[in-house]
Amino acid sequence: MQFLFYLFAAISVISAVFVVSAKSPINSVIALIVCFLSIAGHYILLNAQFLAMVHIIVYTGAIMVLFLFVIMLLNLNKSAEPVKTLATRIAAVIAGGVFLLTLLAAVRHGLDITPARDFDGGVGLVRSVGLSLFNEFLLPFEVSSILFLSAMVGALMLAKKEPAASAGTSPAAPAEKRVA
Amino acid sequence: MSALILISVLGVVVLYLGLLGNKRLLAPVGILGLIGALVLFYTGYHVEMPLFANMVRFDGFSIAFNSAMIVITVLLFVFGVDYYALMKEHVAEHYALMLFSLTGAFLLTAYTNLLVLFLGIEILSIPLYILAGGKKRSYRSGEASFKYFLLGSFATAFFLMGIALIYGVTASFDLGKVREYAELHAGQHSILFLLGSFFVAVGLSFKVAAAPFHFWGPDVYEGAPTLVTAFMATVVKTAAFAAFYRFVSMTGMPEALSRTLLVMTLVTLFIGNVVALRQSNFKRLMAYSSIAHTGFLLMALLSTSGLTAQMLFYYTFTYALATVGLFIVLTLAKRAANGNENIQIFRGLFRARPWLAIVTMLLLLSLAGIPLTAGFIAKYQVFLLAIQGGFLKTTAFAVVMALIGIYYYVLVIREAFTPAEEGIAIAVTPANWLVISLCGVAVVALGIWPAWLL
Repeated sequence: MQFLFYLFAAISVISAVFVVSAKSPINSVIALIVCFLSIAGHYILLNAQFLAMVHIIVYTGAIMVLFLFVIMLLNLNKSAEPVKTLATRIAAVIAGGVFLLTLLAAVRHGLDITPARDFDGGVGLVRSVGLSLFNEFLLPFEVSSILFLSAMVGALMLAKKEPAASAGTSPAAPAEKRVA
Repeated sequence: MSALILISVLGVVVLYLGLLGNKRLLAPVGILGLIGALVLFYTGYHVEMPLFANMVRFDGFSIAFNSAMIVITVLLFVFGVDYYALMKEHVAEHYALMLFSLTGAFLLTAYTNLLVLFLGIEILSIPLYILAGGKKRSYRSGEASFKYFLLGSFATAFFLMGIALIYGVTASFDLGKVREYAELHAGQHSILFLLGSFFVAVGLSFKVAAAPFHFWGPDVYEGAPTLVTAFMATVVKTAAFAAFYRFVSMTGMPEALSRTLLVMTLVTLFIGNVVALRQSNFKRLMAYSSIAHTGFLLMALLSTSGLTAQMLFYYTFTYALATVGLFIVLTLAKRAANGNENIQIFRGLFRARPWLAIVTMLLLLSLAGIPLTAGFIAKYQVFLLAIQGGFLKTTAFAVVMALIGIYYYVLVIREAFTPAEEGIAIAVTPANWLVISLCGVAVVALGIWPAWLL
């Protein structure tokens, strides 16, 4: 188990570095998929099967495919990275350095991380996730439907093809019929 | 709770009404539903209990803020009848998205669980990202939407990280448990807890447009359709401040957090009032004015006493009234000036529409905080509160900033009362006239008799 943990950890870190450093966006996305898969491996090590499956289906499957589509549609496969000016680079280095210093100063005396609760092996099983979703977290679960509904309405609203400006004078209904 | 359900169902109903293709039905149905929600809130006013395994609690604080937001939304819907008259497509979606956003705002005032706080923020924001891009043919609108979406996503990421850190330390999302933990470890918080509350504060500061997280403000306010800008400047700000107050008062404000907030207050006051002096676009001016008011409201948050909640309520409500009125006047003047948004479009307003000019003056004076208007009482109370809380130097700085701020409000008033070379023709529908007058009268009445709300 310990060996697997270190293996997955190494894969996640290396692939994550590759995501940022890769020149071609396609390679970047592939590395990101590897990174996600290794994180799913971590979830399984923690006995969180549900989370692992959802992670693979949603992130590795759906979102990454979407990423790839966008990259291919936008024809970004050659490295079309905008050139940054020297001032931007220096500013970025300074900002990053200051952030690093702050973090170092904050953890100078060591981070005291004691888990507030002991590890419970059954917490990630489908059964316990479902139970807590429909008992304790019923309200957030239901309310998130409003979130998704508004996101869907918005996607339709922004993506729907508008009738051309000349046809704009006619009401919406005939325009839709013409499409049908 | 029933009001929350009513509003979300109302959103769906409005969406379906959009299928009928009858635009005139949308706003009245929306307004009726909103008034129904108001009634539901007041019938349940004294029933104060935690709901759904202690996820939300609609207490007096939450109901007061929710009612204020409903009133503002009703005013905006009345304005919407005229505003959307020329728009052909997606009118129903606009109303529905605003209603969905309002449900998020309700959650933000009532949450007792960090998870609900997160969902509330997201439900409030996602419709706004879309609404900001509501003018699909305008590049500015698209830019506003995209900027708001990207920066908002970053803020959300920080915010979620903060919640995760707090959860890691306290093993609970429940605000009561978080408070217990904070009181137990007062003075020697673990770094994770401090970092967590700092990140949550960052996320909320982004929503209220406090410096240094204000950069989206002017661009988004300028690009978004005016009605949406008005919604953002009023309802969203009110909800975000209610959420901020609940969070700050519940975590008991660790000292490191209050120091951060103090610095943010000073920077916000400075940027809101001084940078605004250079603006000539009225919407950008209002954005900076909104940032400046964020500064004053943050100052009220800093001095946590029993009166802070009342103060926040009075301040946000009167600010929202003045802002709604001004944005409607802007829309009318903008139409007369062919879409120009420079403050010079107000020139000759007094000659053309004396009453409109007088109300505009009252609203601007209220934002500036001149005595006899509600804005003065609001600022006065904030200063009083801050002095009682021991922030003497900050208060002195804020007073100076408020005095500088008066300048740019007066600039607009001067334009309104300067006769134009050629007369301007401003058309006002009775409904708009009513809303503007209502805002103007309310701002003065609340300034003379603040006890109505305080």
